[in-house]
Amino acid sequence: MKRSPLFCGILVLLALISLPLQASPAIEKIQSLLAKPNVLCGRFDQKKKLNGLKSPLSSSGRFCVVAEKGVLWRTLSPFPNTVRLTRNEITQTQGDRVAMRLDASQEPTVRMINNVLFSLLSGDLAQLESLFEVDARTQGNKWNVALKAREPALAKAIGSISLDGGIYVKNIVITESSGDRTSIVFSEIKTGKGAMKPEESSQL
Amino acid sequence: MNKRLWLVLAWLLVVCALLAHNAYLFAGKRIEPDTDILTLLPVQERDPVLQQAFTHMVDAAQQRVIVLVGADDWPQAVRAADAFNDVIAQRDDLMRASDPVTDKTQGEWLSLFQQHRLNLLTPQQETDLRGQSGEYWVDAAMGKLYSPFGGPKLGAWRDDPFGLFGGWVQARAQETPVRPRDGKLFVADGSRHSVVIPLTLRVPAFSIDAHQAVMPLLAHAREAAEASGQKVDVIIAGVVLHAAAASERANWEVSVIGVGSMVGVILLIWLTFRSFKPILLIMLSIFVGSLGALSVCWLVFDRIHLLTLVFGASLIGVAQDYGIYFLCNRVGAAKEMDSWQLLRRLFPGMFLTFVTTIVGYLALALTPFPGLRQMAVFSSLGLVFAWLTVIFWFPFLVGPNTLKKGTQGQWYKRSVDYWPTAGLNRRTLLAFILFIGFSAFGLSRLTFNDDIRLLQSPRADLVGEQNRMTKLLDTPSPVQFYLVRGETPEDVLQREEMLKRKLDPLIENHTISGYQALSNWIPSSRTQLSNRALVEAKLLSGHGPLWMLGTKINEEYNWAAAMRANLSGPESLMTVDDFLRSPASEAFRHLWLGKVDGSYASVVALRGLSMNNSSIMKGVPQGMEGVQWVDKIDEISSVLGRYRLYMGWVVLLSFGAVYLLLYPRYGKSTWRVLMPTIIASIATLAMLGAAGQNLQLFNMLALMLILGIGVDYGIFMHENTAHNKHSVWLEIGISALSTLLSFGLLALSSTPALQSFGLTMLIGLTLVWLSVPCFSRKETGKAGGAAENE
Repeated sequence: MKRSPLFCGILVLLALISLPLQASPAIEKIQSLLAKPNVLCGRFDQKKKLNGLKSPLSSSGRFCVVAEKGVLWRTLSPFPNTVRLTRNEITQTQGDRVAMRLDASQEPTVRMINNVLFSLLSGDLAQLESLFEVDARTQGNKWNVALKAREPALAKAIGSISLDGGIYVKNIVITESSGDRTSIVFSEIKTGKGAMKPEESSQL
Repeated sequence: MNKRLWLVLAWLLVVCALLAHNAYLFAGKRIEPDTDILTLLPVQERDPVLQQAFTHMVDAAQQRVIVLVGADDWPQAVRAADAFNDVIAQRDDLMRASDPVTDKTQGEWLSLFQQHRLNLLTPQQETDLRGQSGEYWVDAAMGKLYSPFGGPKLGAWRDDPFGLFGGWVQARAQETPVRPRDGKLFVADGSRHSVVIPLTLRVPAFSIDAHQAVMPLLAHAREAAEASGQKVDVIIAGVVLHAAAASERANWEVSVIGVGSMVGVILLIWLTFRSFKPILLIMLSIFVGSLGALSVCWLVFDRIHLLTLVFGASLIGVAQDYGIYFLCNRVGAAKEMDSWQLLRRLFPGMFLTFVTTIVGYLALALTPFPGLRQMAVFSSLGLVFAWLTVIFWFPFLVGPNTLKKGTQGQWYKRSVDYWPTAGLNRRTLLAFILFIGFSAFGLSRLTFNDDIRLLQSPRADLVGEQNRMTKLLDTPSPVQFYLVRGETPEDVLQREEMLKRKLDPLIENHTISGYQALSNWIPSSRTQLSNRALVEAKLLSGHGPLWMLGTKINEEYNWAAAMRANLSGPESLMTVDDFLRSPASEAFRHLWLGKVDGSYASVVALRGLSMNNSSIMKGVPQGMEGVQWVDKIDEISSVLGRYRLYMGWVVLLSFGAVYLLLYPRYGKSTWRVLMPTIIASIATLAMLGAAGQNLQLFNMLALMLILGIGVDYGIFMHENTAHNKHSVWLEIGISALSTLLSFGLLALSSTPALQSFGLTMLIGLTLVWLSVPCFSRKETGKAGGAAENE
């Protein structure tokens, strides 16, 4: 039996899903606060602080989360870069060039990754709970959540994630064990039919 | 008379010794027949490295049982897998699950490669480094820098800014679709989730005892898993399943063929003699034959194969002929004649039939198949002991009044009087022309197929599960691979790399889905150095991409130098030994054969190779030093083909040898003794050809036996005198029928080899039987030999 216990990285980052455990009251409260639109698009502003770089890296763009379809993550500034996650594939295009493509038939974790990212962006804590220890707090209509991977290997690879928001997820902060830190702020959120721009609909 | 009594007693002593030895073997030593089909095959000639490569690969594969437990969702699959494991864990003396994947093993996995990451590149990365501009690499690094989930990432960004190491690890991961997940191994099957459970057998895969313990355990575990949830399915694959199925079937066939043949023979003899005494006598001779065969065979080989027992037992059945011949003649002979006198009269014929049969059996021993050799020795010995029992004991046990004259089968006995005989007339000519015509037609349509896979007929359900598993897990074939050799480990790795460059285009056009090679993990020192030099030259040095990246993200002037220092690390090379010591090599250690016969060798295994493409793979290493395509299936098939041809010659030569053996006694009419067998052999081949059967080694072996037995009938027929012609014809009928019963049942075997053997015997012996009277001498009053003058 050959196996590859390697592959932690972002791939394993995401081992998986399903099995909604007994949800805590706070999680149930958050779930009831969150709107669960079929289509959700908006602007993101991302700031990355990496070990070995003196200044943080800022980027911004648009994102869309479409139920049953996937996630589109379009970085527009400082340069165009699009990541598209669908059920069977992850593709990254930079300019016109496909920089990376991962197919589910080659890489079985693709589906899990997509599932977790989808859950993260839409705040589906019930899904995330199978993979992470969820420490949830609510205050009025606001909430914040700290996620810590249940699997030690996974925890080592991705560190901790915190989310906060109201009816939508507003902030995500990922702190990796290497010290690299990524924070993302979401704004200008639109839902429903008109949320996606035509060029976005055609890509997803 | 006294002397004769001594013979009887001496033989009794021998039989007692055999009984004691057999009792010791079965009750004392508790011997068990082999069931490993591989021990029946010829040992790889001449090349010890090749032989070791094969045992290496097969040993690794043979003791393995792989289980897939699938369900619609992962937690359910995990529950089912746990239920399965709980059952297996109760008997960890039989099989054991591999250690679970832990955090620690994952960390250790990467550390060796992380230390040498600059030495590792995928072929695609190498091409890109040579071909792509600096801009390309800056863009790639920027993309990774800004994207929140930009692809595989191991550790901090600063350790792998261009994603080369991440890409390399990903390429390694893609050598298998299996992934660690929650301490288990996971594989996706469409929308279903499966847990992979690799088990290692701790008992021999080919032991019948092991089958009897392992199979129910697996079945029980399967039930437990399936009961743990809805829509859980379990796939189990492993050599042991095939071995168990084959031995179960062989056991069944032994009983059916053995019992069927026995019942038939008993019925036949009872119908003829209306007494059970002859049956007991004949069974006595066969019993002593079997005892002797087993004893001596065990002393010679120190083991015995199940197939030897199946096959050999039916061959010893031929020994009944001697007993029946004696008994029929006893019944037919005058009461005044003493049994010892009768024996003296019958002896020349009995001796010749015995010798010609032994010649036929021993020809089997000339083949290089250990299994056939064992069968030949077993059957010949059985015949010797059975024959000696008839000679030493029958005259003593069967007196002139022991048997009643049978009244049954009179019509059959008389039928020989009306049998058409060959002579110089129109009828014979017509029959001859018809025979020639049919033979020409049949023989011209004869085809050959020596494919070893025709000899086995694995159970369809097992093959189905196996195929599904192979497809899901994309495991390489253990019987078709490349063997790479060199003076030093470095030589071997360099040759592997050369071979891989030739294989890469075959992956692109989907001839194969990939390969497993040690050099995937541990490139040759030459490649490690050139990879490192390439990365340093193209990415890290001077005002290259690293420096350009620094300016782009507004880093200070010395940023690139600091990054370079961090990335370069210590300049050292990984060795094969480093890799073999690391936990990462666990699944690949079997590919490294190490030092064999003064040189080093390794295996490059192929994934996703279909049988039809093996000829393409054969051509790949052409002109490459130290690389050899090994195809065990093809090789065994070609050995089978060689020996089919070889056996054909043996059959022809045996006809010549038998002719010479018989000539001193029968002189000019020797052809009459041989003719029925010759005609039957040719006609059998023609019929097989006309029926579109593929000829293979086992048909040839059958022809060999037809020669051995058919000539007996010829001799018996020829030895007759006017007054015992009917007894002889009766004897031939009984032995032909009972032989047909045993071999006819062999034609029902579901093992194709035995089946084609049985079919050939069935046709051939029937033809011999029916044509023997055609060639009997017209003048019946005169004896052919000196024996008659007694």
